[in-house]
Amino acid sequence: MAATIPASASLSVGRFPNNRASSSSCPCPATALPRTFFLGFSKFPAAVAKPSLGVASLPSRRYLRTHCQQQEQQQRLVVVPREQRWMFEESEINGPDIWNKTWYPKAADHISTEKTWYIVDATDKILGRLASTIAIYIRGKNLATYTPSVDMGAYVIVVNAEKVAVSGKKRTQKLYRRHSGRPGGMKVETFDQLQQRIPERIIEHAVRGMLPKGRLGRTLFTHLKVYKGPDHPHEAQMAIPLPIHDKRIQSDK
Amino acid sequence: MNKDKIFKLAKGFRGRAKNCIRIARERVEKALQYSYRDRRNKKRDMRSLWIERINAGTRLHGVNYGNFMHGLMKENIQLNRKVLSELSIHEPYSFKGLVDISRNAFPGNKLAVKDGSSIAV
Repeated sequence: MAATIPASASLSVGRFPNNRASSSSCPCPATALPRTFFLGFSKFPAAVAKPSLGVASLPSRRYLRTHCQQQEQQQRLVVVPREQRWMFEESEINGPDIWNKTWYPKAADHISTEKTWYIVDATDKILGRLASTIAIYIRGKNLATYTPSVDMGAYVIVVNAEKVAVSGKKRTQKLYRRHSGRPGGMKVETFDQLQQRIPERIIEHAVRGMLPKGRLGRTLFTHLKVYKGPDHPHEAQMAIPLPIHDKRIQSDK
Repeated sequence: MNKDKIFKLAKGFRGRAKNCIRIARERVEKALQYSYRDRRNKKRDMRSLWIERINAGTRLHGVNYGNFMHGLMKENIQLNRKVLSELSIHEPYSFKGLVDISRNAFPGNKLAVKDGSSIAV
């Protein structure tokens, strides 16, 4: 209330010269002048917080609008009480409001060259459990800064891909199918055959099924690097071991 | 609505939908229907995004979202999910304090094996 009184007073004072100018230029001053005059005077003694709609209906709207826009822009920033200013940094006090809006990453928050690289050894690990953990890290769902539309995840290197394990009879019974597009063009392979032919494809197929399908999913898939032996060409990235919390991922055989 | 209004709303549409009135009218009607529906969906989507972020933030400390919220409810901490997700991003130490409060109130799952996963990645 205290804030509106000076605002209304300044608005009414600011409008007086305009009213006189408009009254002199408008063709029928008899009806216009008393109305504006009355509204202007009623602001002083009443001191009621009238909404700005009643004020803006007057002919001197252009003059009023610029004032209000400046006030709105200033009001949009968060005002920090003086006794709490020590808790906030300069950029936070004068900058945009970060506490009432959900955070969305800027370009500087997901630079590819600054992402973490993880490495995991696939020897005797259960295929699906390993692929699930990898997909979580690639997508970025382990981070509090997770955003579904932005690639916030990490890179993952998988080595010893030919030694990945499956339980039960899947080694001879799990089928990998692909179709060339032509009639009768279905090709079927068992897990064993594919492992002998192209072992990397097993882990890639599993992880690709767990990543989102779409443009972003395809770029996420390129962050997975699978290799057959224990060597990989990414020594310069200094990959850290992938933290795995799943207790049943290690096959005992 | 006359054609000018339709074309004004059809800016940025693909192909003939931004230029030809018959197609644009259909697409604009659909777009308005979608925007009506999505103003309601946006509230749901934002809440699920906050929950996902809180889940990720608490799992870094070994607690999952369900047990964390249960502990907060027990302690009668009425912070909403929006604020909690912002805390987990911008104020990690305060968030860890909240996770500890929740863990004391409701032990829930105890992770025996905790590998070295850092708080701020």
